[in-house]
Amino acid sequence: MNLFEQFQRLANAYFLFLLLLQVLPFRAFSTEYFISFSGEPLGLASTMTQQRLAPSPASAGEAGSQDLLYFLNIFLYDFRKGTKMIIKSTIVLFCFSHRILLWEVLGYLILLLTVFADSYSVLSDLLLNEKLKAQKIMIVTDKWMNVQVGDIIKLENNQIVTADILLLSSSEPYSLTYIETAELDGETNLKVKQAISVTSEMEDNLKLLSAFDGEVRCESPNNKLDRFTGILMYKGKNYILNHDRLILRGCVIRNTDWCYGLVIFTGPDTKVMQNSGKSTFKRTHIDHLMNVLVLWIFLFLGSMCFLLAVGHYIWENNQGYYFQDYLPWKDYVSSSAFSAALIFWSYFIILNTMVPISLYVSVEIIRLGNSFYINWDQKMFYEPKNTPAQARTTTLNEELGQVKYVFSDKTGTLTQNIMIFNKCSINGTFYELYYEIVNSLVMISGHKAHSSKKVDFSYNNLADPKFSFYDKTLVEAVKKGDHWVHLFFLSLSLCHTVISEEKVEGELVYQAQSPDEGALVTAARNFGFVFRSRTSETIMVVEMGKTRVYQLLAILDFSNVRKRMSVVVRTPENRILLFCKGADTILCQLLHPSCRSLQDITMDHLDDFASDGLRTLMVAYRELDSAFFQDWSKKHSEACLSLENRENEISTVCEEIERDLMLLGATAIEDKLQDGVPETILTLNKAKIKIWVLTGDKQETAVNIAYACNIFEDEMDEIFIVEGNNDETVGRELRSAREKMKPDSLLESDPVNSYLATKPQPPFKIPEEVPSGSYGLIITGYSLAHALEGNLELELLRTACMCKGVICCRMTPLQKAQVVELVKKYKRAVTLAIGDGANDVSMIKVAHIGVGISGQEGMQAMLSSDYALSQFRYLQRLLLVHGRWSYNRMCKFLSYFFYKNFAFTLVHVWYAFYSGFSAQTVYDTWFITFYNLVYTSLPVLGLSLFDQDVNETWSLRFPELYEPGQHNLYFNKKEFVKCLLHGIYSSFVLYFIPMGTVFNSECKDGKEISDYQSFSLIVQTSLLCVVTMQITLETTYWTMISHVFTWGSLGFYFCILFFLYSDGLCLLFPDVFQFLGVARNTLNLPQMWLCVVLSIILCMLPVVGYQFLKPLFWPVSVDQIIDRIHHCMRHPLPYPVRTKLKHTASRRSAYAFSHKQGFGALITSGKTMKVRFPKRNSFPHKR
Amino acid sequence: MKRKSQDCKSRLPDNSAMKQQQLPAFRLQLSANEILSGFFATGVFCLGMGVILLLSAKSIREIEINYTEKCASCAKLREDATNFDKECNCSVSFYLPQKMEGNVYLYYKLYGFYQNLYRYILSRSNIQLVGTDVKDVRNCAPFKTSDEGLPIAPCGAIANSLFNDTFVLLYNFNSSTQIKVPMVRTATAWWTDKYVKFQNPTYQNLSHAFEGTAKPPNWPKPVYELDEEDPRNNGFINDDFIVWMRTAAFPTFKKLHRRLHRIDSFTEGLPAGSYSFIINYNFPVSKFQGQKALVLSTLTWSGGSSLFLGLAYLVTGAVTLLAFFSMMAVHLKLKERKTFFLQ
Repeated sequence: MNLFEQFQRLANAYFLFLLLLQVLPFRAFSTEYFISFSGEPLGLASTMTQQRLAPSPASAGEAGSQDLLYFLNIFLYDFRKGTKMIIKSTIVLFCFSHRILLWEVLGYLILLLTVFADSYSVLSDLLLNEKLKAQKIMIVTDKWMNVQVGDIIKLENNQIVTADILLLSSSEPYSLTYIETAELDGETNLKVKQAISVTSEMEDNLKLLSAFDGEVRCESPNNKLDRFTGILMYKGKNYILNHDRLILRGCVIRNTDWCYGLVIFTGPDTKVMQNSGKSTFKRTHIDHLMNVLVLWIFLFLGSMCFLLAVGHYIWENNQGYYFQDYLPWKDYVSSSAFSAALIFWSYFIILNTMVPISLYVSVEIIRLGNSFYINWDQKMFYEPKNTPAQARTTTLNEELGQVKYVFSDKTGTLTQNIMIFNKCSINGTFYELYYEIVNSLVMISGHKAHSSKKVDFSYNNLADPKFSFYDKTLVEAVKKGDHWVHLFFLSLSLCHTVISEEKVEGELVYQAQSPDEGALVTAARNFGFVFRSRTSETIMVVEMGKTRVYQLLAILDFSNVRKRMSVVVRTPENRILLFCKGADTILCQLLHPSCRSLQDITMDHLDDFASDGLRTLMVAYRELDSAFFQDWSKKHSEACLSLENRENEISTVCEEIERDLMLLGATAIEDKLQDGVPETILTLNKAKIKIWVLTGDKQETAVNIAYACNIFEDEMDEIFIVEGNNDETVGRELRSAREKMKPDSLLESDPVNSYLATKPQPPFKIPEEVPSGSYGLIITGYSLAHALEGNLELELLRTACMCKGVICCRMTPLQKAQVVELVKKYKRAVTLAIGDGANDVSMIKVAHIGVGISGQEGMQAMLSSDYALSQFRYLQRLLLVHGRWSYNRMCKFLSYFFYKNFAFTLVHVWYAFYSGFSAQTVYDTWFITFYNLVYTSLPVLGLSLFDQDVNETWSLRFPELYEPGQHNLYFNKKEFVKCLLHGIYSSFVLYFIPMGTVFNSECKDGKEISDYQSFSLIVQTSLLCVVTMQITLETTYWTMISHVFTWGSLGFYFCILFFLYSDGLCLLFPDVFQFLGVARNTLNLPQMWLCVVLSIILCMLPVVGYQFLKPLFWPVSVDQIIDRIHHCMRHPLPYPVRTKLKHTASRRSAYAFSHKQGFGALITSGKTMKVRFPKRNSFPHKR
Repeated sequence: MKRKSQDCKSRLPDNSAMKQQQLPAFRLQLSANEILSGFFATGVFCLGMGVILLLSAKSIREIEINYTEKCASCAKLREDATNFDKECNCSVSFYLPQKMEGNVYLYYKLYGFYQNLYRYILSRSNIQLVGTDVKDVRNCAPFKTSDEGLPIAPCGAIANSLFNDTFVLLYNFNSSTQIKVPMVRTATAWWTDKYVKFQNPTYQNLSHAFEGTAKPPNWPKPVYELDEEDPRNNGFINDDFIVWMRTAAFPTFKKLHRRLHRIDSFTEGLPAGSYSFIINYNFPVSKFQGQKALVLSTLTWSGGSSLFLGLAYLVTGAVTLLAFFSMMAVHLKLKERKTFFLQ
């Protein structure tokens, strides 16, 4: 954190200014008063907020030397500050902050050591390198941070790519390299990259590689993940490079033993880093508000001081001048105007306690405490992965209680990224897994506790041990040798594009291009049809223990239009078979008429599958006669060679052979959601939190998941799809959607339109618009690119914000950030982004709060997040329980804190009118010093660390309680003004009641009690009693600690009083402790206690009355809910709500995955079906 | 679980009430009935308290004699500082319609004298007054040293402005004879002030102790001559001095000056009749439009004649009861609406 950032917090500048004022001798305070300000050096509050733990250089690969330097800078800066602190401050409270500081310093020391160690090793590495280069060519292992542009690096299987590299050669034929891009775009299928032929010849010949002297000219670093243009100049020839040659940082090498690449971009130039956006210093809305309020207070203070200075001027003119016999002016004071100028600054110092530094210290402590609660929460601990929730920043807690928009990634966040072969229908027989939630745990932890139920696959020694399936009938069928079942599984084991790996005999690892396919092949494997290996012409399958080799004659690959794939194989018996799998809508039109009845039964089954939200596929086969195939084969190869219209011709040829298919059955695969996702989303919806899914994945899968997890519902009136390819169509689509939701929102008379017509200045807020029903919106990345430009962004925002659910698919990471930015900019609402992969980093950084899913393979998202959870479902607890509490506590804290300081400080203003505006304080200087540090700090900390207005069960059961936070109802400018007025009133009472009491009054032995010191004591005792009573009113949750803090602080005050006013201390330092005997003489006066009681009554009753009348006169929805809760607490109800939350995916249906005809009445009744996607496939193949 | 802990340490957070935010607690919810009855009780309490306080304040006899106007000629004389050595006496007579029973206290009261000015309050040396170092005058600006450069004892603006009018109260026993009312001049200051906070420097002879110091410029005589008759009332531990040094909080204040010595005809208190004060007028106030007065008063348990607390309690009680009734009305009227919400 640099100085500039320090002063972004206005208060820091303010405190620096006050510090300077103190040093200048406007008002010679005695030393202890001085300490109370300067003992807290500037920026103490901010050192404690040190944002994130510095990621250790090793774990965050990119923490290159630049970052380390940055950390070093911070270290030096903080260390200087730290030592200054330690020397200076002597006050008890700071022991606490000291400890934190010491930890920090220690942490930095360790960091420094690592830096030295690191640089040493780098240096030695460098030296070593030089030596080696001179001797012979060899591969050197080095750190990520040392990779430089122009290096040639070798990558091995399953390694994460360190930089954007140009593929030179690889172990696979044709220099193919398989990569997984889940970190980049959320897609889980494998992609293929191929090196250009010149370089691929080098293979792993180090001599050739090291002699490679090509020159690459390419575009400058940019954030486009799917585009790259460049030229390689090598041996006098130019080769064109495109993004097929480039392997991006963040990918994972799969299925390839090794590959060599030339580094093109490193570090911040890489595409993924270009996409990840700038990381900014996040500050909460409350922080911003506090900045504004500090400014207000500053102005208020200034005007107050000005008025008092004017008062002093008048007083000096009228009276002070004539009073000079008794109190002559100082030598340098020539006129009352000059004296007034000095008084202005004196009052500035006296009244500055309106914003004490302890406010900031306390705020940090509260946030720290509330962060610890998050770390400590057992209910957010995920046992299978042994990860608790983690608050990685301690500065954003209260904002968790204000979230309005949640932007979620799909893969790995909503889903587990596990595909499960769930159900199937074979030749009209329905097989189902008795599949339970525990299953997922079983699969992850490899626990075998459920073996009793589990099907015995012992007959098949190639079975995947992790697989579990509980339907015995299917196994029986396989064992019996049912022809159809065998054919079904054979087709699954043949008709796919999976690649197998068998490093150790019997341990097969499948590299599937899509997890769906992997699930199918794995299922076939476990039922005894093990796909073992393939070559370009054969497929080896172990069928029930017997190895058979099929000749692969043709693969008719998947495409988005065809929505099916087929293979043609020659069996060992010399039969030619075609196996086809694909979308049911397509496939059922290609079936042979003879399987009509079977088709009907299967369709029924498919309906069932679809209604469970499963991804369905149909499987069919056809037996071909040899001549026909020869004929077709010829046509096919001709079509493949044709130059014009090749795609079309191929597909026509394919259609010729994919006819008259015999239906085998259907499969259903579940894209497994994380536990509790639908319930969580339902709860968050109830809390009026809008959830947008931003994913890089395909539209179909995204929409399927949206249905499965309640973002879209069947009851929705309509779902709009925006997929235009230019500004015009996108704009039109958006507008027509908006017209349907709210017809008059297009009219000029609409308030939002007329507001926009006034052309407000850029940072403006678009008000909330209410649609006529519930709608959903789907928008694709291409359309989004248009929609995010220029004037369309407002259209997009208005349309999207009216929808209940929004799905954005095929997005680049940067677009995710742009969408978040858009909402942030115009809605002024708190946004939260949650994701798990590198492609989510950008939005995590941009959003007000970034949440990373931890415990996954990639750490990128987690490392740049503010909170790390291990499951999506913990989000509801994080927001509704921790967030809500943090927000409520912070608001209560701020209201109370401002109140107590206004009440405390403004008494001086009233006294000014009776003390010749001479900057006389009402209190003893010791009281001023201790008020914020000792007497009132613990009760308010107790309030803001332990208070719970309702307990966690209620806040989860009534998510509506979350709403006030979203509108920031508990602490805003209005509330602040209320605090101010309340403070002014209290200070008025606290001054005039004691004044009336002591004025012209005497104690019963005749001695007068209207002396300054007794008056001070009475006022400060009343003040303390009043603010303590006020906090007892605010506290709703009285723990033992609250009692100790609140009453203890009050008791402690009296103890300290007797100590400070004792004979011994005063005789030791007569000039420092002047209040000798005041406590003894004044505390036994009946008037004093009558005065305290009266002050309490006068200060408390209006507050109690206001709190009593407020819900009666101005009822807010939350009041009613709280009323209801109180009612329920007194008369406990049976627990009906639970069942409502137990709503699972079974109720909704992914009709979209089925065909049109199958649903009969249900579909015709639902108007929603019309707009749904007629063509749908769940088959994410490579294209 | 067991197996897990063998594999690696479980990071499961502790299940303590503190960490899980499950601390046993009392939930404070004020119901409407509690609030309303609280208001009622408070109102009744305040009313009762107000009545008691007013009654006891009424039982006090008090008389205030403002002599600023009556001694105008003396005031005029004192405006010119060069006349400091000229004596000026004036006599003020008054009539006491009812007798003052019990202990009677004599106060002097100043109007418009700001003893609470910031610089004024600071201008004293507690180290000097406690007797440790008579020459310590650090905080005493602007009255630190005399013109000759000697440290002033007692230094500072407060000491310098010591109220130095003296009074003699005469009782007109009958038309011809006047009796001097006996007054006690001690035990007017706080015990802690007299015996802890103010100490003479330890010397056998008080005047020796103050050697090398100067008297405050406004004082006619040095500090060790304040009360030469009574050594326990001389120097820094002079009661009048101590009382003055305990600065008042407001510009209008009264300070205890003398107590009635209840002997002879004054055993019962001050009898009714006519009295006169002989005032030795020394303290100038007319320059800053100040006023001086003398107050004779009796006392009760709740102190003096100030009506403030009694009235304040009475008003508070009345307002609270009023609030109670209106809140009750609102509550009853809106109760139906409220129960409607509950459904």
